[in-house]
Amino acid sequence: MKKIGVFVCHCGRNISSTVNINEVVEEIKKYPGVAFCTDYTYMCSDPGQDLVKKSIKEKKLDGIVIAACSPSLHELTFRNTAEKAGLNPYLTEVANIREQCSWVHKDIKEATPKAISIIESIIEKTKLNESLSPVKVKVNPKALVIGGGIAGIQASLDIANSGHKVILVEKSPSIGGHMAQLSETFPTLDCSQCILTPKMVEISQHENISLFVYSELEEISGSVGNFKIKIRKKASYVDNSKCTGCGVCSEKCPVSVDSEFDEGLGKRKAIYSPFPQAVPNKPVIDKENCTYFLKDGKCGVCKIVCTLNAIDFDQKDEIIEEEVGAIVVATGYELYPMENMIEYGAGKYPDVINGLQFERLLSASGPTQGEIHRPSDNKIPKRIAFISCVGSRDPEHHLPYCSKICCMYMVKHALLYKEHIPDGEAIVFSIDIRTSGKDYEEFFTRAKEEGNILYIRGKPARIIKQGDDLVVWCINTLTGKQLRVKCDMIVLSMSMISSSGALELAKALRIHTNDFGFFTEAHPKLRPVESLVPGFYLAGTAQGPKDIPDTVSQASGAAAKVMTLFSSDEISHSPIIASVDEDLCSGCGICIAACPYDAREMDERKKIVAVNEILCEGCGACISACPSGASQQRNLTNIQIDNMISVLLRSNTEQPV
Amino acid sequence: MKDKKNLTTEINPEIRDILIEMGAEDIYKCYQCGKCTSVCPWFQVEICDYPVYKFSLETALGAVASSEDKKELEEEIDLIYRCVGCEACLEQCPHGISTPNILRAARRLLVDFGSYPETLKSIVQKTHNVGNPFGEQRENRADWAKGLNVPDFQQGMEYLYFPCCLPAYETRNQKVAQATVGILQKCEVSFGILGVKETCCGEVIRRIGAENIFEEVTKANIKEFKDSDVKKVLVTSPHCFTTFKNEYPEFGADFEVLHITQFLSKLIDEGKIKPKKEFNKKVVYHDPCTLGRKNNIYEEPRNILKNIPGLEFLEVENFNRSLSLCCGAGSGGLWLEWEKDERIVNVRLKQLMDTGADIIAVACPYCLQMFEETLKSMSTDIRVMDVAEILYETI
Ligand SMILES: Cc1cc2nc3c(=O)[nH]c(=O)nc-3n(C[C@H](O)[C@H](O)[C@H](O)COP(=O)(O)OP(=O)(O)OC[C@H]3O[C@@H](n4cnc5c(N)ncnc54)[C@H](O)[C@@H]3O)c2cc1C
Ligand code: SF4
Ligand code: SF4
Ligand code: SF4
Ligand code: SF4
Repeated sequence: MKKIGVFVCHCGRNISSTVNINEVVEEIKKYPGVAFCTDYTYMCSDPGQDLVKKSIKEKKLDGIVIAACSPSLHELTFRNTAEKAGLNPYLTEVANIREQCSWVHKDIKEATPKAISIIESIIEKTKLNESLSPVKVKVNPKALVIGGGIAGIQASLDIANSGHKVILVEKSPSIGGHMAQLSETFPTLDCSQCILTPKMVEISQHENISLFVYSELEEISGSVGNFKIKIRKKASYVDNSKCTGCGVCSEKCPVSVDSEFDEGLGKRKAIYSPFPQAVPNKPVIDKENCTYFLKDGKCGVCKIVCTLNAIDFDQKDEIIEEEVGAIVVATGYELYPMENMIEYGAGKYPDVINGLQFERLLSASGPTQGEIHRPSDNKIPKRIAFISCVGSRDPEHHLPYCSKICCMYMVKHALLYKEHIPDGEAIVFSIDIRTSGKDYEEFFTRAKEEGNILYIRGKPARIIKQGDDLVVWCINTLTGKQLRVKCDMIVLSMSMISSSGALELAKALRIHTNDFGFFTEAHPKLRPVESLVPGFYLAGTAQGPKDIPDTVSQASGAAAKVMTLFSSDEISHSPIIASVDEDLCSGCGICIAACPYDAREMDERKKIVAVNEILCEGCGACISACPSGASQQRNLTNIQIDNMISVLLRSNTEQPV
Repeated sequence: MKDKKNLTTEINPEIRDILIEMGAEDIYKCYQCGKCTSVCPWFQVEICDYPVYKFSLETALGAVASSEDKKELEEEIDLIYRCVGCEACLEQCPHGISTPNILRAARRLLVDFGSYPETLKSIVQKTHNVGNPFGEQRENRADWAKGLNVPDFQQGMEYLYFPCCLPAYETRNQKVAQATVGILQKCEVSFGILGVKETCCGEVIRRIGAENIFEEVTKANIKEFKDSDVKKVLVTSPHCFTTFKNEYPEFGADFEVLHITQFLSKLIDEGKIKPKKEFNKKVVYHDPCTLGRKNNIYEEPRNILKNIPGLEFLEVENFNRSLSLCCGAGSGGLWLEWEKDERIVNVRLKQLMDTGADIIAVACPYCLQMFEETLKSMSTDIRVMDVAEILYETI
């Protein structure tokens, strides 16, 4: 039998005012298995801990129970104390007689026996505790970053600058993401590309970064510290070792299609680089639109004009295998489809456009060289309307959430419009303008006043085309007046949604998203940059709508977490996890489905379901699901739980065990 | 300008709680965006200002149907009974708030106090007394079917055909019922009618706020259907459709109900009806609110019309399907008089006529009645027909 020591804390008067400490100590001393019991005012203080250490050594204790506050506060403290005295830390337990006893009772006569039974139940647990040591794994200090928008760029640079290798995978032909499409950025109105492109170039030149564009993650296995990945690099039909990015091929290519980068407002060729500052600046052939592929080898103009013979129609997709220790997910966002807004004729009327399209019209590198012309007939729009919350804050038909940044980009758009067309009129329709960011409200105020912009409170119901005009139907809910406003062009502040493919990616990575495909953080407040599954970190709009400052902060946060992980060769993990009694396991596999962390895996050879000790978080779901009692939580086995419960149930009748 | 005391609203929790109890439970969801107001048909009536967005908030304050001042109360009653229950607002409201239900709660309160429009009082009374809102005699209810060999419903028949009040009594609408049974007979459908035993479905009196009488009528109808062993009902009116399908079950009904356009569209798809004769007309289809928005039946009537040879099918641009505009007859609107330039029906007819159609096709007796009545005073050649009538002409 173990020699157990019990240390009862007064917590000043927090415990002792409603629990009779003397009575507790006297009772516990009598409890079977207890070799020593004492009390102290503050057990967590240095003298308190010294008392614990001294007692462990002197009384040769092989298990201790600290009766004090919640284990979520000081369990670690006392485990370390015990370790210093030579006792395995997992033979230390905390009995919570504060939050669960003294704080919730007034009557000392009720609280004292309750404290006694709580302590007794923890003594029972401690009796059967085993010595454990943390699970250790080697860490491969190389990171994978998925998505090359500003989030992925920032995370990659931060990790690479700390001396670790980074693999950056981007699905489109260039990194840069949506930020590359923007004109000027709120609240300071600096030119988006001017602040972004230096970072893009830094990526391409960084010795610690391997960049794979036109690529996607194909397969992943393993767990934190040791993932094995396969990347599919799509054939671009251009040999990058020969191509200098001169662009002759694109110039001569006869096929012209809508440019994704210009949001359909401009054209690109079948062989293209999305924008002049693209990184890498090598074209790709879009097979779906290339005449060579569509018509069995007809065309091939690019191959003819390319003097460096860089065009290679026989190129195949490549699979690259890599090993990494951590993964940053930075797959960004898209805008809610305009076609869903039938009441606004969006997708039907060419002059009803979305925010990103307007950014392209404003951008000097855009399809109109930065002059605002409306798409249908190139006319300069003399009256323009901006409508907020389109798709967002509409739980009934669209999305329930506030997309957070569209108010701000709308405020910016109205101001930039007025700067471009000073004699034009800008009207903003909104329910409210949300400007909760540093300097944002000031920006809004300035934009409203400088631009003489008309803000109308109300959500328009319809946009109706009348001849050349688009008429917005609305009610000004502040005055109650009906409005039918004729406009030349309308910009819808569409909500952000998760990027297409986010759900499939989440499934492949086995990490969680919310209902809308945004990756879920481990804790909404205290762990906002990591996933619940160890080894995965989240950056930018992949996790939820946000602006560039927040995106960059989160990316740096995720990078810091990765660096923390990489700061030692090994990581350790709590050993309070599930274990399997191989003799009892029938291999039914029920636990596999029950585990939210994918930590249970079938051992095909032994026909039992093993526990991946790295992935297991010790939640206990598999244990309660296991029909044969084979799965047990270490140091919280079914027998321990039974014993604890019987102590608690018996306590009223005051019989010994 | 009102004097100060009338501008200050006291929160009246009692009225609010009663209204919530009576069905205005959505009020707290409203974020005052106003979308409901500019999508409401009254928005399109030039001289009318109908502040739909205010109703949730005013109800939350308990400031609805509660004025002590007689003139003010009259104005309020006018607002409360102006709503035609078309649910255009509900269709667009980001929070799915049913303003017609909020107003119906207010109507229930007004009906309880007897303070509601006289014409509506009279139709509630008539429905209560003789089972139809027109005060027609019960024994004349099956007159429309005279000489058509329409059997009374008997156990073992597959369908009960339920024309409801307008097609039963009103001459223009009777033709729709007659065309319908004509088609059913041609296709050898096993069906019968309740005839003089038929009673109004009660939809309109529920919308007016006469909840108790609605419940009485409903329970009687359900009993009649059960006693006659009715399992499937075919209806001409979307108002019967929605009431039977969506509202009767809470009172214990468990029969299946089909709108006639659903039934006929299916027969066409299965090849059991083949429209043969050419119908060389331009036809625009008007979506009845109660069939479309409330029950999502948009394609079946279109399918019937598009299968008719020679027929050129037209849509009202911007105002079709879920964005269709009400005819103005719902929720008691058929019985309320508005000035000529203050009528929804005129706006809708203009939209329909602007398409250049020869025929307005409808699938609702209320729409038919409303359009017919209004067209009488207009110089135009456009005609209104029910989808079933058009189909009947071509088979
Ligand atoms: C109209 C508009 C105006 C804006 N204006 C401003 C402004 O003025 N100021 C401001 O602060 N913010 C502004 N924003 C917000 C800003 O665009 C975002 O905060 C920022 O771009 C988010 O960066 P990101 O890296 O998270 O996402 P993204 O820019 O979307 O980047 C994600 C990247 O990941 C790639 N990717 C996606 N899935 C995969 C996959 N499975 N595998 C590999 N790669 C993948 C994508 O191709 C993309 O390159 C604006 C947004 C809009 C819509
Ligand atoms: S083969 Fe022709 S169509 Fe294809 S990319 Fe080259 S030039 Fe363009
Ligand atoms: S940020 Fe503004 S526009 Fe965007 S959803 Fe939120 S409130 Fe609406
Ligand atoms: S549309 Fe809905 S949320 Fe908006 S004002 Fe009307 S009832 Fe309120
Ligand atoms: S139901 Fe129709 S008439 Fe009534 S408030 Fe709503 S939109 Fe207006």
